Amino acid sequence: MTAPIDARTLPSGTVLTPDLAIIGGGPAGISLALALANTKLNILLLESGGENFDPANQKMYAGDADGVHYTALDAGRLRFLGGSTNHWGGWCRPLDAIDFEKRDWIPHSGWPMSRKSLEGYYQHAQKLVEAGPWIYDKADAIIAAKGELLPLGDGGIYTSWFQFSKTRDSDLPTYFGHRYEDDLKRSRVKVLLNANVTGIRLAPDAKRVERLDGATLNGKSFTVKPRFTVLACGGMENVRLLLASNDVMTAGIGNQNDLVGRFFGDNPTPRDVGTMVVFSGALAPYYNNTMQMGDGPVMRATFSPTGDFCRAKKVAGSLTTVEQPVELDETGKAAVITTALALGVDASSAKAYSIGCGMELLPDPDRRLTLTGEKDALGLPRLKLHMTMAEADFTLYRKTLQELGRQLLASKTGMLRLNFDKREEWSKTMDWGNHHLGTTRMHADPGQGVVDANQMVHGIGNLYVAGSSVFPTYGSSNPTLNLLALTLRLADHLKKATA
Amino acid sequence: MIAGVAAVGAAAAAGLYRFTDLFRRHYAPTPYDDLLGQLVDREQAARLGAKVAGGANAGALAARLRAALTGGLTAAAIADAGAGRVQDVDGWLLPDSVALLSALAARA
Ligand SMILES: Cc1cc2nc3c(=O)[nH]c(=O)nc-3n(C[C@H](O)[C@H](O)[C@H](O)COP(=O)(O)OP(=O)(O)OC[C@H]3O[C@@H](n4cnc5c(N)ncnc54)[C@H](O)[C@@H]3O)c2cc1C
Repeated sequence: MTAPIDARTLPSGTVLTPDLAIIGGGPAGISLALALANTKLNILLLESGGENFDPANQKMYAGDADGVHYTALDAGRLRFLGGSTNHWGGWCRPLDAIDFEKRDWIPHSGWPMSRKSLEGYYQHAQKLVEAGPWIYDKADAIIAAKGELLPLGDGGIYTSWFQFSKTRDSDLPTYFGHRYEDDLKRSRVKVLLNANVTGIRLAPDAKRVERLDGATLNGKSFTVKPRFTVLACGGMENVRLLLASNDVMTAGIGNQNDLVGRFFGDNPTPRDVGTMVVFSGALAPYYNNTMQMGDGPVMRATFSPTGDFCRAKKVAGSLTTVEQPVELDETGKAAVITTALALGVDASSAKAYSIGCGMELLPDPDRRLTLTGEKDALGLPRLKLHMTMAEADFTLYRKTLQELGRQLLASKTGMLRLNFDKREEWSKTMDWGNHHLGTTRMHADPGQGVVDANQMVHGIGNLYVAGSSVFPTYGSSNPTLNLLALTLRLADHLKKATA
Repeated sequence: MIAGVAAVGAAAAAGLYRFTDLFRRHYAPTPYDDLLGQLVDREQAARLGAKVAGGANAGALAARLRAALTGGLTAAAIADAGAGRVQDVDGWLLPDSVALLSALAARA
């Protein structure tokens, strides 16, 4: 057993020399460490926090924001072992093949890899999130016993599935720190807690990381001299460390093309975007609630646009969910009565539901994180987020909702109201997934991305980035399952690169 | 259940609207009764139709509807939805034929 070491107890000036330093003990860092634990590599996992929440540590996440209203920077993430999975929702869904494609109607879109190159890693990622057997694309048949799928007829929208992370004997999702702490202890991975990396120091030729500066909140400092480094501090903090480490590359590491921190993304989750009426009133419970499938996974249905529809109508990704029942006003009742009677359908038991969604934002270089003049307790400049949302983000999603409405009518299943038209209306119910994406984007061309297809920072042979900050286009699926699959792929790459 | 839908639905299902005028409001004759007669609940349609945007008068609406409803309202509504001929009325997505006939009910 290797118990975690508390960096606050290290003699100041300690120098550590692992083969691989992983900065950040969130799901990405922990999964990478465990995936490489059986290799010959000496691995050091440096985690800023301890095993539990500590307000002083969390304060280092505070920052500013302007533009479109967004979650406070110290509220949308957690800074201790397990990272933000200590308060995540456990929603899991793989990215769709189209999310990886270059979509000519979405500027800056496309990954330098296809969904196929992740296929071999998804099963393992699914195990890590403990979301049960992989039945995302096979659920329709299995689910029939729990209630009929809403018939949608032919069209661009189909019923897709979320699976939920679920810790054994608990309704809570997998908290990576608690869940995998013992696995880390049993492994050869050395875990350093309360260990903040405050700088990544490059060799003078800017081609390699020479050392990492470390500090603790009780005033200790230490140095790490790794052969290889993986930055896994989350989609915001990865940016902060790269930009703040500007002694050799004066614009910040990997920022020679002014890309680090740009293209920040998230999945907006506006509520009550529409009202869906089901004429028969029969809605299977897995539409507006999670549902355990016998001994199998916990699942929930969602309406997703097909790749073909996205291509034909030039829309972005979205996942529309059915929420709580709602009452209709007089116009709504008139609409349902008139339409149902016109379609020749009995609507005497009709029910109406509010619908919400998780959307894919269009990439925007001006939606970005930068450093401010303010510093945290360890002297690191704080972050500022400039948040934007384009008119097109709303209008493209409306097209998808219109198709859902059309299909409900065509199949005589029900009908839909679009509750919002103007941007101000959307903004009123806007919430965020707190999925921090895109800020160290992956691109084969160093002029257009911070990391290459292997997640190596362009030009710096021993520095890699893990996590959703590398997603060049976002998709609408929640990121964690996907960033884990990518991280496991990175582990395979590192096995070769470090040999 | 959406209050108000039940009574109409049950009545329609029982065929009451076809064979009795029990619940039916009486309307003065119009030049469009061939079209309006296809509405099972003209009052609700008129309420909805009041929200249809655009200034087309009853005559113009009727001309469009006579061309569209040759096979009856149900066939037209289903065909509209299938072909993507859908209108947004106060946010509600309606088959064109339903929106136009509702507008006619409001304007006749
Ligand atoms: C409220 C909420 C709900 C969410 N729900 C979902 C969901 O349902 N489904 C889903 O897929 N995703 C969800 N997410 C997102 C999910 O939590 C993240 O995708 C995931 O945690 C990212 O993993 P990560 O390891 O890249 O980063 P993080 O989880 O942010 O972990 C980074 C780690 O790095 C450490 N660290 C930071 N700076 C330093 C430093 N300088 N030195 C050393 N260590 C450092 C931190 O303490 C932390 O432990 C949710 C997020 C939030 C906030």
